Order: sequence, then C-alpha cells, then structure tokens
Amino acid sequence: MGVIALDRLEVRLGGRTVLNGLTGELRGHAVGLLGPNGAGKSTLINTLLGFHDPAGGSAKVLGLDARTDRMRIRQSVGYMPENDSFIGNMNGVRFVRYMAELSGLPPAAALERAHEALFYVGLGEVRYRKISTYSLGMKQLIKLAQALAHGPKLLILDEPTNGLDPTARQRMVQLIKEIRKEGSMHMLISSHLLRDIDETCDEVLILNKGRIAAISNIEEERRSHRNFIEMEMTGKTEAFAEKMKAMGCECARFAGGRVKVVMPDALSQRDLYMAAAETGAEIRRIQTRRDSLEDIFLRAMEYDGGQPRGPQQQVFVAGVKG
Amino acid sequence: MSVFQHDYRPYEGPTTALWKRPLVLARYGLAEAWGSKITVGLGVLALLPCVVDLVLMYLADNPVAKMLVVGGSKVLEINERFFLGVMETQCWFALVLAAWIAPRLVSFDLGDNALPILLSHPVSRFGYVLGKFIALTLSLSYVTWIPLLVLFVYQSYASPVPWVMGHLGIAFGMFAGATVWIILLSLIGLAVASWVKWRVIATGAMFAVIFVPAGVGAIASTVLRTKWGMLLNFPVVMSELWQRLVGAPSILPNRVDLPNLAIAAVLIAASLACVAVLNARIRAREVVRG
Repeated sequence: MGVIALDRLEVRLGGRTVLNGLTGELRGHAVGLLGPNGAGKSTLINTLLGFHDPAGGSAKVLGLDARTDRMRIRQSVGYMPENDSFIGNMNGVRFVRYMAELSGLPPAAALERAHEALFYVGLGEVRYRKISTYSLGMKQLIKLAQALAHGPKLLILDEPTNGLDPTARQRMVQLIKEIRKEGSMHMLISSHLLRDIDETCDEVLILNKGRIAAISNIEEERRSHRNFIEMEMTGKTEAFAEKMKAMGCECARFAGGRVKVVMPDALSQRDLYMAAAETGAEIRRIQTRRDSLEDIFLRAMEYDGGQPRGPQQQVFVAGVKG
Repeated sequence: MSVFQHDYRPYEGPTTALWKRPLVLARYGLAEAWGSKITVGLGVLALLPCVVDLVLMYLADNPVAKMLVVGGSKVLEINERFFLGVMETQCWFALVLAAWIAPRLVSFDLGDNALPILLSHPVSRFGYVLGKFIALTLSLSYVTWIPLLVLFVYQSYASPVPWVMGHLGIAFGMFAGATVWIILLSLIGLAVASWVKWRVIATGAMFAVIFVPAGVGAIASTVLRTKWGMLLNFPVVMSELWQRLVGAPSILPNRVDLPNLAIAAVLIAASLACVAVLNARIRAREVVRG
C-alpha cells in the first residue's frame, strides 16, 4: 500500500479547478512535491489533511480516505506549514506540549516529548523563551518540533527551508535526512528548491497547472542513469536526432538547440561528429554529465497534460521531443 | 527521542479519546485567560459585591444584628427582588470580564496565524470553538451563577424561618438566567474576537456590540413609537428575562412588556448570527491561502 494514493482527484476552489484528475501512488519513504507557483502543491497538502473536500475522485493517506477519515489522518500526520504559524505568546516547550496534547498525548507524555523534540531539533537551550523572540530559523525548527512531537507516521513539510540562511538550511536538510534514515515515518516535502528535494527525497511528484506532470523514483533514476552527452547545436538538429535514434541512441531535444544523447557502448564521440556532419547540424558545445532532478523537472514543466510520465519516459524519451 | 542522545524515537504510548481534544483547548484557554493579572484583578473585583451581599444577608438573617443596624425597617428583606439585584450586578461584571478574556482566547491564535497549525491536529473547527467556548463560559460562571447559588445556599442555611422550599424558583431562575447570559456573552465575545485581531479594539468592540444596538433600538422605538425597538436593547431584554425567571417585580424605571417569544427569538437570532460569523472567520483562516 502506498503512503499516498490519488485516484482521479479533483479539487475546486472558488469555482476554479485547482487539482485536476490526479492519479498516482506514492510509495517512497521521503516524497518530494515539486511544481511552480500555483501548480497546486499547497492545495494538495490541504486536501490530504482534510481542509478541502475533493470535488471528484479520492485521496488516501496511509490507507485512510481524506474525505471521511480526516481526524484519523491528522492523528497520524505531523504537519509543518510554510508560513509563520505558532502562538508567539507561549514559550517553546509549552507550545510543543500543547500541540502534542492536541494530537492525543496525555499531558505528562506530551511534556516529556516536547522537551525531547526541542532538543532533537536543536532548540533545547531556548525552549523556555517566548516564540515571538525566536529568529526565523528557530521558528522553522519549532514548527518541525511540534510536527514530530507526537510521533507521526507521515510528516508533511511545506517549504521547510523557506527563508533560512545557508547554515540553517543545511541544518534543516540534515535533520530531514536523519529522520528519513531513522525510518519510522514517511515524509512528504514540498519545496521550490530542487536541491533540497534532491538531497532528501527518494521519490518526487511534480505538479504543473493542477495536474501530475511526473512521478519519479529518484533512487531508481540515479541507479539507471548512465552518463549522457549534452550538446548545444545549430542547424538541422531534428535530422541529427533521427540519425542518432537510428544508430541505437536515446536522444532528446530541448529548446535553444540543446540535445541530450545516451549512446550504446559501441559508439564513441567521434560518431556524434560524423552524424552531425552527415545531417547538416553543427555542434557548438559538448559535455558529458549525469541527468539531474533539474532535468526531470524541466522536462515535466514542458509537459502539457495527458498521462504523467513514468520513470523510463522522463529520463530519456526515445526519439525526438521538443 | 531522548534528551541525552538527541535521537528520534517513535511514540508508542497511549493516546486520549478524540472527544477530549476540545478540553485541551479549554484548559490552555483558561490558563491563558487567567494568566493575566488584569483578569485576576477583574475576577476579584467581580466578587466584591457578593461579599457585600453576604454581609447584608447575615444582617437580615440575624435578628440582633438587624435590630442594631437598621432597626425594624424592611430594607434588608431577602427575597426575589434582592436576588434579582445581585444577579444583575454579577451579570454586568460578567460582561466586563468577557470583554477582557474573549480576545485573549482567540486573538493570540489569529495574530500569529496559529489556526492552520492548530487545526492540522485532530480537532475540528467545531472542536476549536467549543474548547474556547468552554474556557470562556467557565470563566464567566465563576462570577455569575456559582457565587449566586452560593449566596442562595447561604440564605437557605442562615434563614431563621423555613425559606428554601418556598424560594427554589429563585435558584432555578438565577441559574437559568445567568446561563443564558454567559452563553450569549461567550458567543458574542468569540465572534467579535475572531473578527478583530487587536485585543484592545476587540474589547471595545464587545461593548459596542452590546450597547450600540441598544441606542439604535431606543431611537427606533422613540421615532416609530413602538416597543419593538427595545428588542435590540440587550440590557433591557435581559433584565426582562431575568425578572421573569426569578419571579421578581421589574427594577427598570420604565418597564417594557416584551413577549417571551420575542425575547427568545432575539436571543436565538443573536446566537446564530455569532455562530455564523465564527464559522466564516475560522473557515477563512484555517488554511494558509495563496
């Protein structure tokens, strides 16, 4: 069973369709949620938490229906919102204890877990200070502490590194990695920063215009990715791509004359130059590199509806694209 | 997790029942409300009239003391009218206390945008409002029906003649009248506090909600020469209700004879309006928009 299962999920807000027919199952231990502004990331999170009722289809979290089992879902989920959200008049330990008690912990256990969670995220020394006096980084950490305190099965982090300086960001990323490594809970991490997702997640869900643009297992991608050659070309790149495909290569074309090629072992770079000469294309720049999450994301952004791409399709689309 | 190892460990202990979650909100709400010295000061001040009433009851029930202080006068007669006066005093202190406490219960949550994080836990919008409502009604009970019933019990104990059985209606009337008032005050207080983010302004707005319609109602009654404008006058409406519940003659100089049904209708309408406002405001703030 997946952590999150979406079946033709449709959400309408103010008469506008924000999520449109999302279907997919997320099984990863740490799932990244990517997409440009307005893609529907926060709406999806709010729907999973039961704040928005689906207009159609269904969403399941840990096997529980988001429409009918919202209280049981919230019991099992720790949520760290993107924006400032706390009670500034309370000190750290009281706030985290309050949130833990709301999640069902008895008062004594909540107090114990609040202390532990605050030490765990590195706020042990300031836990008796009012939250309103915390720095931005501390405020992010206390949101993480309250999300962790009741021992959730799924941790939803909405832009956890938002507004953090490089040191605080690194600390947050390290914490997320440790939680993932500990292995007792799943994570759904929404972020604009591909690097954060790349470092912390093993699966990624990319949304674009309210639709799923890609679901990709980053770990599998990393394992399956061979080195590829990226070129900037002018001239007849389409014919070049067809030629490479005929030679047994996987080839993808992008805007601006960028072409990526994965070659069989039998071929060498010399064959590239020869193919370019034969097809009337010119290679302006060439470099060998590995596919990155950024490539997956950019390709997904070019995608315009229909079925989301599977792992093999997103890495290298055989033939011409673009 | 453990403090010394700084490792994460899952929680495997027991959890409380879902229905108890609003009580967590109520407990923290009470602590927040009574954590202020001003609240404690108002609470003490609100009980001073009860102390005075207690002394008056002692004098009334002690023939020697009564003879020494007021002679044979009937000024110190403990009856429905006496308890109606006590009740009115306590209920208006409750308004002051509600105007101070209600914004403290809600405005901290709104000011720091805490609702998304609070409601992401297993507590519904209704549970959230219920928790705050319980905290406010308990705080107001402390200055209304609880001291009123304590005074009634004291009078029952101290009266030299059989008194209780003939006056049980007073106890019921005080309890019912105070309960209606604190429910109304709590709903108005929470609705106003959910609308106005700043505590001081919310406190002022609470008084405005009670007294501005009273002025409008009085003007309407005078201009249109009708008694129905008085339905907007909560002080008059409540005085009428309390007087009927306790069974005492009216203490208002110009009595307005409002039908029971009209009084009930206006109180229910005001309560429903407050619930609608609360629902709309909290629904709008439960998720981060944009």
